[in-house]
Amino acid sequence: MARNTLPSRFRGLDIDEYDENRFVDEQDEAAEQQGPDGAEVDALLRRGEMITAFHIALRNPPINSKNPAVKERAQAVVLRVLTSFKSSDIEPAVKSLDRNGVDLLMKYIYRGFEKPSDNSSAILLQWHEKAFAVGGLGSIVRVLTARKSV
Amino acid sequence: MSMCNSSWSQMVFYEKAHEGSRRGADTSAFLQSPQKMTATLRPYLNAVRATLQAALCLENFSSQVVERHNKPEVEVRSSKELLLQPVVISRNDKEKVLIEGSINSVRVSIAVKQADEIEKILCHKFMRFMMMRAENFFILRRKPVEGYDISFLITNFHTEQMYKHKLRNSSKIFEDLSLESFCSRLGRRCGSHGK
Repeated sequence: MARNTLPSRFRGLDIDEYDENRFVDEQDEAAEQQGPDGAEVDALLRRGEMITAFHIALRNPPINSKNPAVKERAQAVVLRVLTSFKSSDIEPAVKSLDRNGVDLLMKYIYRGFEKPSDNSSAILLQWHEKAFAVGGLGSIVRVLTARKSV
Repeated sequence: MSMCNSSWSQMVFYEKAHEGSRRGADTSAFLQSPQKMTATLRPYLNAVRATLQAALCLENFSSQVVERHNKPEVEVRSSKELLLQPVVISRNDKEKVLIEGSINSVRVSIAVKQADEIEKILCHKFMRFMMMRAENFFILRRKPVEGYDISFLITNFHTEQMYKHKLRNSSKIFEDLSLESFCSRLGRRCGSHGK
């Protein structure tokens, strides 16, 4: 009677995984989304073309990418652009964005809050204020409910 | 309905309601230059208030796992589709607020600035005092989330019974805790009421 006479392999199964109503995130292809081009953005910043650098930094967000390095790189580029803006230039820059741009900007802002360094939080707070004035509560809600984060 | 019964907590809520005019006088020797501190405070509080307002859209949602149960999904975390992205708002690397939302509950965790040893001890004791009386606070969590000093759990039942803007304000009372402001509030309250 010491030997187990019946198969017990089923006990290792996680039955919830096979539930057909289980929610799975859609897996989109991460094809061309490599994040903004850091070198290009740097060149523009050096030349002083802030708004262009800003727009380019917000292009190609690595939303679908599962590679954290890509996301880190994109975040670093955007943070560099955001911190190099003067306070007075923030508002026109935000106004030049469309609705999707403002949402994307909000996502990057919240991402930037996660790793505060030097003065980055102070600038990000100013960006947040201006972006909130343009985007309203809706932009924040869209950041909270986004299934794919930047 | 009364949010809290003890006069201690009434003190902090009362004082916070009048904090606006006193904000400019919040200088403390431990901090960076006072200008810089107060310059980031307003945008910080506004950002937190806006995010909280966005996250506090809660509705009743019974548990999908257990029949006839109703659990705060942000604590259970069993179903991915019910959870929102957790979001951090930081003022510097020491002070931040973590807001985790879900369909029927929101967890707000605050990391308060503690500049030196005595502030750390004071903060720890103050928070422990509050958290031991969490039942009277209704929305307070008995243990803070890892990495933070105090946490609130707000469920749809709370938002149904209490004013949303009052809920928002009450969680913000902890954000500007510094030794000076704490002692000045304590002194003011004790002085005005004799005990």
